[in-house]
Amino acid sequence: MLIVTGKGGVGKSAVTAALAVDAARRGLRVLAIGMVEGQGLAGHLGVEKLTYQPAEVRPGIFAMAINRPAALDEYLRLQLHVPKFSRIGPIARAFDALASAAPGIRETVTMGKVLFEARTREWDLVVADAPPSGQIGSHLRAPRTISDLVGAGRVREQTRWMEEWLNDPVKTGLVIVSTAEELPAIETVETLAWLEHEQVVDVASVITNRTLEPLGASVPADVSAPIGAAAALHDGIFHEQQRWLATLPDGPRLPYLFGVTGPVEVTERLADVLEER
Amino acid sequence: MSGPILVTGAGGVGKTTVSAALAVHAARRGLETLVLTVDPAKRLASALGVETLGAEPTANPELPHLWAAMLDAEASWEEIARRHAPPDVADRLVTSEFFRSITRHFPASQSYAAAEKMADYVEARRWDVVIVDTPPAAGGIEFFTAPQELTELVGGRLFRWLTGGSIPGRRELFNLAARPALRIVDLALGSDLLERVSSFLFDLRSTYDGLRSRATEIERHFKKSVVLVVTTSDPAPVAEAARFFQALPAVARAPAAVVFNRALPTEWEKVDIPDGTARPLARNLALWAREARRQETVRDEFSARYRVPVARIAWQATAPTDLDSLDALVADSGVLADLL
Repeated sequence: MLIVTGKGGVGKSAVTAALAVDAARRGLRVLAIGMVEGQGLAGHLGVEKLTYQPAEVRPGIFAMAINRPAALDEYLRLQLHVPKFSRIGPIARAFDALASAAPGIRETVTMGKVLFEARTREWDLVVADAPPSGQIGSHLRAPRTISDLVGAGRVREQTRWMEEWLNDPVKTGLVIVSTAEELPAIETVETLAWLEHEQVVDVASVITNRTLEPLGASVPADVSAPIGAAAALHDGIFHEQQRWLATLPDGPRLPYLFGVTGPVEVTERLADVLEER
Repeated sequence: MSGPILVTGAGGVGKTTVSAALAVHAARRGLETLVLTVDPAKRLASALGVETLGAEPTANPELPHLWAAMLDAEASWEEIARRHAPPDVADRLVTSEFFRSITRHFPASQSYAAAEKMADYVEARRWDVVIVDTPPAAGGIEFFTAPQELTELVGGRLFRWLTGGSIPGRRELFNLAARPALRIVDLALGSDLLERVSSFLFDLRSTYDGLRSRATEIERHFKKSVVLVVTTSDPAPVAEAARFFQALPAVARAPAAVVFNRALPTEWEKVDIPDGTARPLARNLALWAREARRQETVRDEFSARYRVPVARIAWQATAPTDLDSLDALVADSGVLADLL
């Protein structure tokens, strides 16, 4: 299973979709999960919207989105063995109210669903378009938060396998998507430091998106004409990127896609690059 | 200037730069200007003269009309609790193990803290212009719905359901587990946690009246605000910008303009490459021209669809951080300068 995170706006959803497409091209049966509502995973997979039930969006790729009420209902029934009866609504509401105050519970429900799908063995690979790196910590740490917080109860018993599954580098890897810009790079480095300290999950890879190739010539003296202006802009961005790339660990670099309009085309082009590696 | 200028948009599109640029431009025209910012890049923070979180408004040494403050959502929350709850309850709240969780994990809370700060500064009447760089919470639109959402969380449906309508006394809270639905929650979470969370929520409930009336005032400021939506030409932020245009009229006002950041010169699309141009340079211009064309299509579609003025901010290799170049961003964008 791969959990894909990164600062908002770096292209997490596109990279998640590209990882799914790349894996499917290699013959794997893939489930792509959108963990946050409104992220662009559906568009990058070429569908209007994702449902809670996994649906095949293209050959070999299934996709779903986690919606909290459905995930909570399922969690209560399957993980906590609360019987399905007519009062599940009130129970879910009470649970939700408590979950908004108690740390780790909402995150456990969301992470629990992802881990549950990974555990079914129905998929060769599960890729999750996860919350941005600012919030990923509370999700990854959720099982531990709960076992610290709660003395007993079924939720706590449930967190043990989740923690083990997350911790196992064979089963779970975190992919951090960054761009070679100041704020995303700084946030990536901070996330890596946090992970080093917490040891909750193995970092599979740091992928840098939207990188430029070198200009391949020197910038003309006249930068007012378009030829010179475009060269100066390219060269300037390239050097700024090099500066931030130097702060990031080695990993795949995905190109800036010039003039690409559709989200599906973005996915395909990024998957091509991943495939070449 | 009647209300605050709210700079919204998806994360990573340059909201902070646009906010700072507007502030510099306004201050240079002699308006007392405050920019309330969240998490600026280091160089920008020092250009604005704010380098610590939670700082009170500070005048810029180079440009005395320009004031900046940096929001610290967590600290603001403590302030909110102290303002709206009785002192002893506020003490219990801010030291509670759940307090941090609700302030950090309830997505509307950071937005609410920013909105309340905004209202404070607008009401202080010390500045002609208050510019708010809205927090990058998921969905962005939360900045506008947060006061309502938060009031609902604290006093609304969930808690009423838990407590059965009226505000219960503590003893009644301990009996919550006697209700059948809660017995199951109890089984799931353990009765100890249920009890601790319940009494925390009970304390939180004491902020309800204060929050509710404040939320109404904040919404009044929203209705008077000038909203700018910042985006790049990439599909994800553009989709996010579209959501603002669809949802905002109901909670605030329709956005006054959309700001396309990282815009490329449109004339690159029509350039004939001179003979004798080095091949890499010709290839490079062709690439960027394609991108410029794509951007223009995106902008044209957006403005046709939402009938809104479009401001363009030129793409620069490094985001501008000195006062002159920040000011120039607004001057060159056309639409933005007219807003002030």
